[in-house]
Amino acid sequence: MNLELSAEQKIIQETAREFAQAELEPVAARMDREDDRGAFLANLKKMADLGFMGLNVRLEYGGAQIGAVAFSVAITEIARACAATAVTVSVSNMVAEVIQAIGSPEQRQAYIPRICSGEYAAGGFALTEAGAGSDAASMTTRAEAEGESWVLNGAKMFVTSAPYAGIFAVWAVTDPQAAKGRGISCFLVEAGTPGLVIGRAEQKMGQHAAATHEVRFEDCRIPRGALMGKLHDGYRIAVGELAAGRIGIGSLALGVGLAAMDYATRYARERVQFGRRISEFQAVQWMIADAYTELEAARLLLMNAAFRQEQGRTFTREASMAKLYATEAANRACYAALQMMGGYGYSREFPLERYARDVRVTSIYEGTSEIQRMIIARDILKSSS
Amino acid sequence: MKILVCIKQVPDMESRFKVNRDGTWIEEQDLAFRMNEYDEFAVEQAVQTKEQLGTDVDVTVLSLGPGRVTEALKKALAMGCDRAVHIQDEASAQKEPWQIAGLIAAYARGQAYDLVFTGLQSQDRGSAQVGVLLAELLGMVCVTTVIDFALKGTSVSVSRELEGGLKAAVQFDLPAVVTCQLGLNTPRYPTLPNIMKARQKELLVVPAADLLLEQALTATEKMYPPARKEGGLVLEGEIDDLADRLLAVLKEKTTVLRQG
Repeated sequence: MNLELSAEQKIIQETAREFAQAELEPVAARMDREDDRGAFLANLKKMADLGFMGLNVRLEYGGAQIGAVAFSVAITEIARACAATAVTVSVSNMVAEVIQAIGSPEQRQAYIPRICSGEYAAGGFALTEAGAGSDAASMTTRAEAEGESWVLNGAKMFVTSAPYAGIFAVWAVTDPQAAKGRGISCFLVEAGTPGLVIGRAEQKMGQHAAATHEVRFEDCRIPRGALMGKLHDGYRIAVGELAAGRIGIGSLALGVGLAAMDYATRYARERVQFGRRISEFQAVQWMIADAYTELEAARLLLMNAAFRQEQGRTFTREASMAKLYATEAANRACYAALQMMGGYGYSREFPLERYARDVRVTSIYEGTSEIQRMIIARDILKSSS
Repeated sequence: MKILVCIKQVPDMESRFKVNRDGTWIEEQDLAFRMNEYDEFAVEQAVQTKEQLGTDVDVTVLSLGPGRVTEALKKALAMGCDRAVHIQDEASAQKEPWQIAGLIAAYARGQAYDLVFTGLQSQDRGSAQVGVLLAELLGMVCVTTVIDFALKGTSVSVSRELEGGLKAAVQFDLPAVVTCQLGLNTPRYPTLPNIMKARQKELLVVPAADLLLEQALTATEKMYPPARKEGGLVLEGEIDDLADRLLAVLKEKTTVLRQG
């Protein structure tokens, strides 16, 4: 048993932390409040140059190939400074990884290096629809074969980075007659394809700097070669990719939770009320103890899931456990941290209200906590039957 | 051209330090370590020099210390050094500058380095002696506290930072040892692919016991935290006069008003 990071993993953690503190943290509050896409994209490009856009992508495609453990550690460090940047990086990585997993050699060569190098500002993951959220298999976006083309029609929702993503992984129904989940395929759609319409921006509670849009397909014609992986096999792929993405979101939540508690704890050691530092009050001490204990447990669950993924073992159950626990622990930590700072926690003068807004979605996107529990329970019941 | 960069791994300066049991150094067990900041300038300058001159430059990064220092060496390799030498010494914290410089010189002698970069000082011990002593032992020119570096052929022009905001322009020929000061450059972040690729680079381990150890010239008798100061300095009087006196104190006792 060895719970130490390797030398490379420690250097990656240090690099991510120093970059995030120097480049992301100073602008995070401003980017939350006002739209400064230029600054946001400039930071994404810097991160691409350092290798953050292809963390688990092989070196031959321009990736960094750092492994799942270092991926988790890196996302946590980025999220400590800016959750919106972290989710954008996480989703771009997911798109690069799905292309690497099921794309043809041509598709890999064509798109992965562009994501990794930052030639594409980001990648888009278009799965969710207005009527198909947790129940992704109930999607209605259609892809119909027509001569040498596929023609896409339908609308996707909550697509991160949509206005500046260079390539979209899009799931659509190719066989409406098939049993549920058996007639869905995955396609690659380049930005700028006629009929690919970037719709309205979602007005969100948090993670404001990360653009989240509706994406519509209006007779969007793509080449036959844009099909990725096997025909009708897309849903299984989406579910598989989400398992790895869940480690990313859990790691992101952990980063926000740590940022919140670190800030509030420093504050508690200085803030004097009733003639003493509030960190001397047991009520505050228990908040600190509980939050850090839960965040440490979250970290260990994440490390375990990432380690299993890295070893090539099954990790779906562990990834869901880690995502469920880390996101909920981080939500509790942000809530407690805000409470520790009292009125200042609620004020925009301090970052706590931003952390609390940013962390809220982590137990919703890429599989709600309820869906994680379903996956965990199903996996346990299946293996014990 | 052969360049040597000497780096030290030091505790993260944000750590909470505790004096160790025998009272001569700090308790290292629970500390996180990182590359000495001044040595990062040295690594960066070596890599920039390599980039400036092209492929005919070989940069060796060297560190002396226990097993953990391979992390700092690997970071330097990821930043662009070509090979690493780890002088393995579990008791490096008990050695004083003359001995450290002696061990480095014992390895470096005969390697025909043209240029040696190292930090002005370490952030932990802060003796600022190792670079100078190494130059002496290797019979090389030594120029300290460098904040600007330009190499042309075998001739080097540097700017040195002196006390009180003064600077000195110095010219010298290689071979030489240069100690690097804050302001010389901005160390790059190692890219993640380079961190992974650095695993393929040579990392030579040389046990310190295989090298000649010099006699210690100094000994640390006692490490202790500074006594707690009471109250600080209180200035009283007329506003105009107060401002002048405050300015004088800031100029004399602190670095806040020094021009970079």
